[in-house]
Amino acid sequence: MLLLAGFSYAQQKIITGQVVRNSTREPLQGVTVVSKTRSVTTDSAGRFSIAVSPGEMLILSFVGMNNLSIKVEASTTNLNLAMLEGINDLNQVVVTGYKSEKKIDLTGAVSVVNLAAIKDVPTTSPMLALQGQVPGLYISADGSPTGSNGAPPTILVRGVNTLGNTNPLYIIDGVPTTRYEDFSNLSVGAIASIQVLKDASASSIYGSRASNGVIIVTTKDGSGAGEKLRITLNSSLTWQTERPWQEKALSSEDRGRALWRAAVNDSTDPNNLVNQIYTYDWNNSFANPVLNKVNIAPFVGGNQLEPVGNTNWQDELYKTALVTSNDVGIASGNAKSGMFMDFGYLDNNGLLQYTDFQRYNARINSHTSGFNGRLKIGENLQLSRTSQVGAAKDPGGALTPTLALILAPTIPLRKTDGTFGGPIGPGYTDRNNPVDIQYLNRWNTTTRLQAYGNIFAELEVIKRLVVRTSFGFDYADSSGKFITQIGDEGPVNSFNSLTQQEAKEFTFTWTNTINYNLELGKHRLNLLGGIESVHDDYSVVGASTTNFALQQLTYFQLGAGSGSQTTSGGATGYRLLSQFGKAFYGYGDKYLASFTIRRDGSSRFGTNNPYGVFPAGTVGWRINNEEFFRNVHAVSNLKLRAGYGVVGNQAIGNLSAYSLFQANYGTSNPAYPQWLNTGTAYDLTGINTGSLPSGFVQVQLGNPNLKWETTKETNIGLDFGFMDESLTGSFDWFHRNTSDILIQPPIAGAVGEGQQQWLNGASIRNQGWEFVLSYQNTTGGRLHYTITGNVSHFANVITQLPEDVRSAYPGDPNHSIIGHSQYSIFGYKADGIYQNQQEVANHAAQPGAGPGRIRYVDLNGDGKVDVLDQTFLGTTLPKVIFGLRLSADYKNFDVSLFGSGVGGVTVYDPTKGFNTTVAANTNSGPGVFNAWTPQNTHSSIPALTILNLNNEGRTSNYYFVNGSFFKLRNAMIGYNLPKGIANKAAMQGLRIYVAGQNLFAIKSGKMTSKDPERTSYNSWPVPTSYTVGLNANF
Amino acid sequence: MIAILSSFGCKKYLDYKPQGALSVSDLTTPTAVDGLATAAYAGIANDWWDAPITSNWEWGSIRSDDAYKGGGDIGDQGQLDRYEQFYLVEPANNGFGDFGFPGAWIRAYAAISRCNVALRSLDALTDAQFPKRKIRIGEMRFLRGHMYFLLKVLFRNIPWFDETVSNDDILKVSNTMSNDSLWLHIEGDFQEAINDLPPTQPGEPGRANQLSAKAYLAKALLYHAYTQDANYNVTGVDANKLAQVVSLTNDVINSGIYSLNTDYAYNFLDGHDNGPESIFAIQYSINDGTAIGGRLSMSTSLNYFAGAPQYGCCAFHIPSQNLVNAFKTDANGVPEFDHFNDVGTEMKDSLDFLTNGVDPRIDHTVGIQGHPFKYNAAIPYDHSWERLSGLYGGFGTMKELQLATCPCFKKLGPFYGTSVNMDVIRYDDVLLMQAEAQIQLGNPLAALPLINQVRARAANVSPLVKKGDGTYPSNYRIQTYKPGVNIPAWDQATAFKALQWERRLEFAMEGYRFFDLVRWGLADVTMNNYFSIEKVRHPFLLNAQFTKSKHEYFPVPQEQIVFTNGLYTQNKGY
Repeated sequence: MLLLAGFSYAQQKIITGQVVRNSTREPLQGVTVVSKTRSVTTDSAGRFSIAVSPGEMLILSFVGMNNLSIKVEASTTNLNLAMLEGINDLNQVVVTGYKSEKKIDLTGAVSVVNLAAIKDVPTTSPMLALQGQVPGLYISADGSPTGSNGAPPTILVRGVNTLGNTNPLYIIDGVPTTRYEDFSNLSVGAIASIQVLKDASASSIYGSRASNGVIIVTTKDGSGAGEKLRITLNSSLTWQTERPWQEKALSSEDRGRALWRAAVNDSTDPNNLVNQIYTYDWNNSFANPVLNKVNIAPFVGGNQLEPVGNTNWQDELYKTALVTSNDVGIASGNAKSGMFMDFGYLDNNGLLQYTDFQRYNARINSHTSGFNGRLKIGENLQLSRTSQVGAAKDPGGALTPTLALILAPTIPLRKTDGTFGGPIGPGYTDRNNPVDIQYLNRWNTTTRLQAYGNIFAELEVIKRLVVRTSFGFDYADSSGKFITQIGDEGPVNSFNSLTQQEAKEFTFTWTNTINYNLELGKHRLNLLGGIESVHDDYSVVGASTTNFALQQLTYFQLGAGSGSQTTSGGATGYRLLSQFGKAFYGYGDKYLASFTIRRDGSSRFGTNNPYGVFPAGTVGWRINNEEFFRNVHAVSNLKLRAGYGVVGNQAIGNLSAYSLFQANYGTSNPAYPQWLNTGTAYDLTGINTGSLPSGFVQVQLGNPNLKWETTKETNIGLDFGFMDESLTGSFDWFHRNTSDILIQPPIAGAVGEGQQQWLNGASIRNQGWEFVLSYQNTTGGRLHYTITGNVSHFANVITQLPEDVRSAYPGDPNHSIIGHSQYSIFGYKADGIYQNQQEVANHAAQPGAGPGRIRYVDLNGDGKVDVLDQTFLGTTLPKVIFGLRLSADYKNFDVSLFGSGVGGVTVYDPTKGFNTTVAANTNSGPGVFNAWTPQNTHSSIPALTILNLNNEGRTSNYYFVNGSFFKLRNAMIGYNLPKGIANKAAMQGLRIYVAGQNLFAIKSGKMTSKDPERTSYNSWPVPTSYTVGLNANF
Repeated sequence: MIAILSSFGCKKYLDYKPQGALSVSDLTTPTAVDGLATAAYAGIANDWWDAPITSNWEWGSIRSDDAYKGGGDIGDQGQLDRYEQFYLVEPANNGFGDFGFPGAWIRAYAAISRCNVALRSLDALTDAQFPKRKIRIGEMRFLRGHMYFLLKVLFRNIPWFDETVSNDDILKVSNTMSNDSLWLHIEGDFQEAINDLPPTQPGEPGRANQLSAKAYLAKALLYHAYTQDANYNVTGVDANKLAQVVSLTNDVINSGIYSLNTDYAYNFLDGHDNGPESIFAIQYSINDGTAIGGRLSMSTSLNYFAGAPQYGCCAFHIPSQNLVNAFKTDANGVPEFDHFNDVGTEMKDSLDFLTNGVDPRIDHTVGIQGHPFKYNAAIPYDHSWERLSGLYGGFGTMKELQLATCPCFKKLGPFYGTSVNMDVIRYDDVLLMQAEAQIQLGNPLAALPLINQVRARAANVSPLVKKGDGTYPSNYRIQTYKPGVNIPAWDQATAFKALQWERRLEFAMEGYRFFDLVRWGLADVTMNNYFSIEKVRHPFLLNAQFTKSKHEYFPVPQEQIVFTNGLYTQNKGY
């Protein structure tokens, strides 16, 4: 034996090599390189040397990377190897709930995010880059930097299971939070892994807050970086434009023509409609109308300073935005200690005039160990500051993106004196010039400061028994400045004011766990127990002053106003106290079982039911490791999983269980329009001004029985891999029942004010499936490519809802919401256009019917079209979401294409409304010229009308259409500079890339909006953007 | 460490005490209880134009022959278009949420709940603890009566309960109490208020007093006196109740505290809040430290003009051609009772107001091309202020508006509010209530001086309406009624006709008209006659139709029937 070994050893030679990450060209430390007889690992520069015999295979493995096999030829002396990020690496270690486990041992529905796919997507949040990438994760965002004009985008894990808040729970480095910004302010370069826990059996360990899904994030800690300082720089420049998606609006003259046609159709005198803007030279024949000329009054509202214009408000409001993004990561580490720092800066100078978004973030993670590695202590800290000026509302409450479409083109951007033009006089809306509104809003910055992280210590008390304690903190300070100015156009305020508001929230999470690992022969056992407390306090103060002598930024300070002053403020908070345990058992490499239980207490619930218990269990069977499967070589992995679990939801106000009285001097309830008088103060003395006597009013009725909302879920999944994991995939089916859903039903008006009460009252059933399939291959010519597709389905129906709450949801007494989703659209079915009086006479009686008008179906067949003829027309939440990603690299080049879409969705088509109706005060699109007239029958657009006696704005499938689409979200091509050139610039590697986002859409033929995602003109258009960027390693 | 860990288990950890809020047990001191009463006053004034409970312009004016909805087009505040045309009113208020009558139901009951909460706490105190306890009880009952009165005239069949009924039991109170009993309960609150309240509330004119309670009780009794059958036909008058109206109004008239303003204009102008004519008013205030710069009159904030540079929006509540014509007087200075609205004789252009004789109150009520607007000759009313002349053009409303230069005025984007109070009961109303009672009692001669007192004040033309050149914009021609001279004979029928006319002109555009018509049993005839002519003038009324025995009242909001599991009975015809 020795001899033999000696003999073979004699044949061996030493070869050297370096291993880098293919995508970034950064060296990989800690790669295991295995020959027939030896095993070595790479150093911090990714270098290794190993003795091998010619003809032997070298196998390289590294967590998160696909294994790489290389045959050593006789001539081989030095190898330059690049490893590919593995999309389905089974040995990857993932964090799933207070502990980590190998992906191969997972038994719940857990998606591990492919970070390479989102790394260079230029967005302000990693979440926006995830859109369409993860099966079962639905993200709906508009084109604003944050995804929804300052607010988070809609994020749903496996659809919707509740009637309230649907935000998922984030666990970042072990610290739980429901604050979206804690996640969105992360630099992608600082993230080590993201897992999405989708089913209750996986997320149940997080108990009371897990029912909307759990997103687990681990940031880099410098481990494996090597003792030499490693610096990575990611920079990009992005140009965003909405032009490709802009909807056409009528010119000044065309709007006049459309109004003329509408007046003629109504048999009213067009010269009496909006004659302060438009007068007409026409033949005065309603039977056979001919328009000779549209005369436009030369001045808006007769104001000599405001000559009539022909304004394209979209061109004026939107500009090309420039987004600058820079991120530097610094890492260093060895087996004992590690350090990771990250600094990011992002600036988006605004797709809308006078808007912007800026972010600075910094991260410092460090850890070290002692006592022979038995004690590990460390910290994670994320600091971020964002400031934003978003899309503004005009004083009447309309958002500027809407105004950019509906405002009349006859209004000029500016008057001749240089001030902004605006609507004044008959025929105009009571809304404002959107550019002026953004201009007046330009100082209204919301600034958010956040600190997030934890300090932790881990001690291996005895062999295999580890106790861990972690102090997590989440501090958010949000301060807003809201300046109202006296404008010089249209309906504006007659006074100026400054309101400043500062909100602070501090959440402290203390987690203690004890973890025991045991391996005895084929038995593997892991036990975990823990306790956790969460302590949250929130406070807000606000102050407002009016009457500023000067309207300039420096003067808008609270002390400078001479008018009335008001203050506001409040405080709230909650407490959570939990105990939990987890047991994992594995037998051989075939059978897996896991059981978790958590008990949560919450201060949000009534005195009678503060605690909830959330158990879950899963089993897994790795079929491919069974004896009878050993010979099926084509199958490299086959695992059947099944699980059942219970999770909770406490997403209600902190004080929902209490009966409360409040003094309300007159601060408007934010739930109401600002013009509503509310409050408890009243001018009893008739002095008319000054401070008023005030009192108290009840605002909420308590419920001591309030308790958790509970979701019970069954999940069955299959993971598979064929041909050495070239073709991999998984399928999951789930079924959820959520009961005791927290609702605050409206009550009979007679009971009076402040008598609404939170109850556990409704149930929802949700089921669906997810399927992901991936194929990767390397061709002979070193072309490596991967195709990944995912498709998922979810659909929820309300199964129980108290009768008195139903009127808050779609439906009517004959068509209950029970059995339908809360996202249902309930309305009329349109059935074409009446062509003549005979058709009107033949149809059921429909008030306002006439030739050229929309015919609605008499669904109940009672001979008349009325409110009882409505039905469910579909849901606004898609039933199917899907994504498709193609990536390839060849030599120094890499390309990727990613697209995603939705199916089975019914949405409002705002462009259809815009192109089929005219209004006396607002603009329309050019489609109105195709409308039905006696001379242009067979049009699908009803005759133009101002009177709208047929009430065609009613909810119907004329405006609510199939909104299915597929969008090419991202296309990228990258080039890695040859090593020699990079090294000359003191770099380990340099990659440059260009990318485009939101390049085109394929949509349902029924949808006329260019952008099928824009189902409301209130939302920011999603721009097309072009990016150039670089990734450098030093 | 272990010590800290053990503190985890402590149940107290989950205790979180609400901050900045009170529980019922905190509200037992006289000061706190008085605060509940103050909040109840705020409650009767907490609204905006989506569903007013202060101004009745949406309920009593655009639903009558006085006014059109106005605004951008018929879809602009479309719920009001439905109410104006009647035939489109549905219990479910489809598509308009709580806007309109469903919101008014909710707000009125919210205000009632504030009264009941205060009454419960007041009942728990003693007079020794809180010397003003009895007065506050009277005030709360007055406010409750006021809100029930509004609900009664809007919906007719309403659930009535007082502070002794618990929340659970409120959900068992149906709306099937008889018409008579409902009125008796409403009157009971005012009667109790009379018993508990002092004659005046020095320094606090915003509070109810004994005389305002008497005036309101008279108003309730006047409505109650017209007995209605199940089809809302007026079947007779109750002489006993009318006698009480006379007696109660006499107490107010003879108190020496209230009188007519010397100038009719003062009822609609800043600087005259809580004047001698104002018996009970909603108190508005400005720059009072509340968030939007004041507790302003937001219920009428849509009614300013779209095209006027000093305003900018929204041109709702447009006087009808029919109303404008009603101001026409004959050569003797009395209304043209029978031919005022004849086609072809409309007063439309500025000249028409000089060629015809008109009642001077028109220039306090209606914005007319070239006439001083709101007593300001410098900026006369102009057609260019109108928003959509093709639909609603012609005239502008005026009484509820103030000049943009008024210190009482605040522009809040496209909307406007003022601190000028909104009168609920005025002295002129008290005079005409008594006149009406006397006529129905068969004493038309007793009514004559009362009506003439109102007319005489109107005839004393206000200098405020003069144009810049010192002339009057219209040809004022008004006389008090002189039987045998300018009116043939002052019999009961003539007197009643004169009273109806007087109420219409005196309170034009103030939201009284529709309720007067229903009280008199004249709504269907009046409205359908109005529509038949007015729809030719304004095609948007093409389908308008008033159905007798149905449209006199709003339906009970469908959602209220749902919320009570069908407890309420829907009104006839819906």
